[in-house]
Order: sequence, then structure tokens, then C-alpha cells
Amino acid sequence: MIKDYLGLAVRSMSHRQKRSWLTIIGILIGITAVVALVSLGQSMQRAVNKQFQQFGYNLITIYPGGLRGSYRGPYSATFELDTDLIASVDGVEAVEAMLYKSAYIRGGEPPDEIEGFLPVVGLSPGITKVFSQFKLEQGRFFTETDHYTAILGQSVPKDLGIGVGEQVEIEGQAFEVVGLLAESGLGNNNSGIFIPLEALWEILGDRGKVSMVWAKVGQGYDAEVVAERLKAGLKEARGKEDFTVQTIEDLQKLIGQAIGILQAFLGGIAGISLLVGGIGVMNTMYTAVLERTREIGVMKAVGAKDSHIMWLFLIESGFMGLVGGAIGTALGLGMDILAVVITKRFIQTNVLEFGISAWLVIGALAFSFVIGALSGLLPARSAAKLKPVEALRYE
Amino acid sequence: MNSLRLAAGAGPSGRALIELREVWKTYRMGKVEVHALRGVSLAVAEHEFLAVMGPSGSGKSTLMHLMGCLDLPTRGTILFDGADISSLKGSELAEIRGRQIGFVFQTFNLVHTLTALENVELPMIFQGAPRASRRARAVELLERVGLSDRLQHRPNELSGGEQQRVAIARALANDPKIVLCDEPTGNLDSAAGMRVLESLRDLNEEGRTVILVTHDAEAAGYARRRVQMRDGRMVEAAEEALR
Repeated sequence: MIKDYLGLAVRSMSHRQKRSWLTIIGILIGITAVVALVSLGQSMQRAVNKQFQQFGYNLITIYPGGLRGSYRGPYSATFELDTDLIASVDGVEAVEAMLYKSAYIRGGEPPDEIEGFLPVVGLSPGITKVFSQFKLEQGRFFTETDHYTAILGQSVPKDLGIGVGEQVEIEGQAFEVVGLLAESGLGNNNSGIFIPLEALWEILGDRGKVSMVWAKVGQGYDAEVVAERLKAGLKEARGKEDFTVQTIEDLQKLIGQAIGILQAFLGGIAGISLLVGGIGVMNTMYTAVLERTREIGVMKAVGAKDSHIMWLFLIESGFMGLVGGAIGTALGLGMDILAVVITKRFIQTNVLEFGISAWLVIGALAFSFVIGALSGLLPARSAAKLKPVEALRYE
Repeated sequence: MNSLRLAAGAGPSGRALIELREVWKTYRMGKVEVHALRGVSLAVAEHEFLAVMGPSGSGKSTLMHLMGCLDLPTRGTILFDGADISSLKGSELAEIRGRQIGFVFQTFNLVHTLTALENVELPMIFQGAPRASRRARAVELLERVGLSDRLQHRPNELSGGEQQRVAIARALANDPKIVLCDEPTGNLDSAAGMRVLESLRDLNEEGRTVILVTHDAEAAGYARRRVQMRDGRMVEAAEEALR
């Protein structure tokens, strides 16, 4: 039955091609906007997830400030933390720390000497065991015995005019540059200088201070459980909860939520254009009912029931929605691909990662059909309710 | 009184297919009531070929709409095959129209977006007939009215006479007992009109009840019984034996 009705609907639509296409374009724009935004959000989410996977899910982050405290990010707050206590917690395999500071730097040889403040990051020597993120482009990483050695962020050689094998002066102390960091997706890593944590403590006189501590969870342990244990232990030792223990999963959820809210907000705005498209369908269908009043009368005379007429019009409007939806979905996904390509080329970081979500496609198609059918509901009802005699007399 | 006598005398074969008893149809136009029918009684027997004659405005089209279950009377009773139609639901009336009645209109009333073939298939679609049998029947019917070479033509590619023959084929789609024609020759030249009237006579001869509404005496001449309407009343019954 649906197939026959669809045939009739297509006939009447192709008879009014220009108007049908204009109506379809109305739906198409709305669906394109919604699909592009939702798909873009998903691409963002995918990229974030990929970053997190690089960190590994067996990592617990501890940083200063309570959950609802005045934490201002890992680069502005420091605290003293008993890393031995953390290491003693059951399930913790390794503990690594980082201290983020700004320090006075001098590099290069006169007259090309350059000086100024740069971020200096103190890293515990085992940090590469918890972070695969620190990849070297040149040279080597610190060893346990290294002290006055430095690794440069990607953009530092350009800024300071020094390279591997040369010397850099941090707060008056000379460091030997042993490595150059490969470019990372995180902007702060590219302009900083990385030295052993012990050395940073020494030159700044800040022994024991850290910005962030990572505990690596051993094989076979659940990160969430270990995190709870860690939290309890630290709270007892410190007497207050002036720190935050976060698993990668927590963080991922948090960012996922933020992206979700952004997505819902933008999707909602795009949804307004879909509403306008729906009103366009309704308008077209009302006009179609008027134009075809006599035809409806004829159909009723040859035996069409009210419900038949109703379905005929609903399928027609739903079909217009579906066609608009199909084209719109394709265009929306196309816009997402374009955004991924553009960001890869111009920002040169993978903030977006393209992929087609079957649910988005199915959902968009179903939604566009429903929008079309819903918009056709009232016109279809008024068509179905026409009295056969009056419809036949209609000029 | 005249009309009462008519109602009593059902047609040649006895059983009344459609029977109207004191039927009134009143339209309200603003504050004015217009009586299109003022107490019409009429019985149409199975296998009859009846012509309803009368000038325009006499109520003959209204009468046809009521006999075709397209509308319900304001007062009075209409029995279709013995059942009172005023107690039927809209969908039940549609069922009767679809299965028992075929319509032929003055202005042909073909769906202009569909081909001749599809127009003939339309009534069968609403009855849920399977695609293949529906198509076969439509082809057969169009062949019968001499349009086998016009199957894929749209109404605007057909002459008036051809369009009316498509309409006749459509009227026969669901093999109805009765064919109702409202001025079927009104928009046709006399040759095409004659051809249409001849096919109506053929339909009657094969056992279908045919009701022809017309103001044209020549067209009415094809019928075996004629009734005359004026000002919403049945004024004269020009009953004749077989021509």
C-alpha cells in the first residue's frame, strides 16, 4: 500500500517540481546544519578520546585544590605532596611529578644573546614511563643521574637560537641541552624548557613543591578503586581535602559533557532552521490541498476513505522531509570532513577526527521524515475531512 | 403524489437497488435556505437504464450525488441495496462508492498527474488490489473502450472523448453494480458523445444499472426509463417500455 501511495505522491510532487524542491531545500538546510554540528561535536569527541588513549587509562592525576575549590589549572598552583605516601598505596605502580614554573632564561652567544622568561618544567626522571606523550625529535631524555640537563620544546630553538649540544642558562645556572621535544598537540609543551625536577627545585629553592602528580595504576587494578583509596589516604594524612584526585576516565567524562552541552546548544540553534523548514512543508502541503481539492473529491468518489487521503498527503510530506534529510545529511557530513581537513592543514593539530556515526545518519533520516510527516499532519487532516461533494464542486 | 407512485413502482426486474423516500436536500447560503430537493421519491431497480432529465438548477446533480452516496439527505430516507445510508459512517459510504458505484462526470475529472492507465488503476488502489492484477484489469478496460494505444498518455494529451472513455474505464475498475453519469456528453462533440452513450448502453445491456443525469433529450433517448425534474421535484415520469 505504502508503495502505491508513494508512487502517487511522487507523481504529484514531480508535477510541481520547482515548489517541491524549494520545500525540500528548506528541510535540507536545517538537517545540514544539525548534522554538521552534531558530527563536528562527535569529531571533537573522537579527537579528545584519542588524546586520552595516549595518556592511558591507568593514570591517576592529583593536583592541588579541592573539587569545588579555587583551582586555576596545573600551571598556576603548586603544593607539597608526600609522593612516598602515594607510592605506598596498594595498586600504585609508579609515581611521577611535574612542577611548572616561569624562569629567567639566557641563551645563545653574544652578540646574538637572547634572554627572557620562559616556562620551565621540572619533570621526575621516570615521567616517560607514564606519558608516552613526550616524544623526542632529537637527542635523548634525562637519565636518573642527569642533573643540569635540559630538553627544549619544539619552538624554543627558534626563539632562543640554541640547539641540542649547546648550553642554556636558567636562573644563572648553565644547563646542557640534550634533547629536542617532538611537536605535541599541547601548546604549552612547545615553548617550554624541561629539566629534571631535582634541578628545578634546587635553582628555585622550592624543594618538595609540585604542580601535578601522576600515579600509574598497576596491571589488574581498577583505576577508579585505586583513586578512591588514594583520596582517602591523602585526606587522612593531610587532614583536609585540598587536592583533587582524578582518573583519566573522570576527565574524559567531564570534557565529554562539556562537548555535549556545546553540541546540544548549537544543535538547538540549528534545530530552529529545521523548524522553519517544517513550516515550509506545512505551507506547501496546505497549498497542495487547496490546489488538489477537486482531485481529492474525485479520489473520494472512486472509493478513497478519509484515511487513504490522509496517508496520501502524509507520505508526500514525509517523503519531502526524507529527501531533504538525505541530501542534508550528506552535506552535513561533507561539511564536517571539510572542517577536519581545514583544521589539519591550518592548525596542524588533530583537534578533529572524522568518522561516520551510523546513529547520526539513521537518526537524521528518521527525524527529517518525522518532521516532514508532522508538518503535513494538519494539511493532510484538512484534506481528509473535505466533503466529497464540496470537493468535487471546487473550481 | 406523482412521486409516491413512482417510488412504489420499482423497475423492470423488481428489486430496488436505490430507493429514495421523500428526500429533501437543503443548503444554507448565508441566511438563506436553498432547497435543492423538495421531497423526491424514486426507486431504481437493478439492471435499469434510467435518465434523470431537467434544466440546470432543477436538482438533478444533487439527486445524483445522493444516489452516489457522495452526500447525505437533509430529510428523508435513501436505501442503497436495502440499507439506509444515513446511518452509515463516512468510511462505509466510501466503501459503497468504491465497490458498488462507478462515476462518470461532465468534466471527466481525471487526475491530471497520472497516465490513463494509472487513472483506471486508482479506484483499485483504494480497494487494496494487488499491483499485477490491477494493472491487467486496467489494460483490459482501456482496451475495451478502444484506448489500448493511449495507456501511457496523460489527460492533457487526450481528446475530450478519449478522456471520457478513460473515465468510463475507471468507473468500471472495481466492477460496480451501478454506473452514475452526470452530463457525460456535456463537454463533447456529438460524435464523441454518441460513442460514450453507446458504451453506456452496452454496459446496461451486460447487466449493469446505469443512471444518466442530463438536460439533453437526445442523450436521454438512450435510456429505457426517463424521469423529469423541475425545482427540486420529480414532475413527470416518461416511462417507456423497451426501446
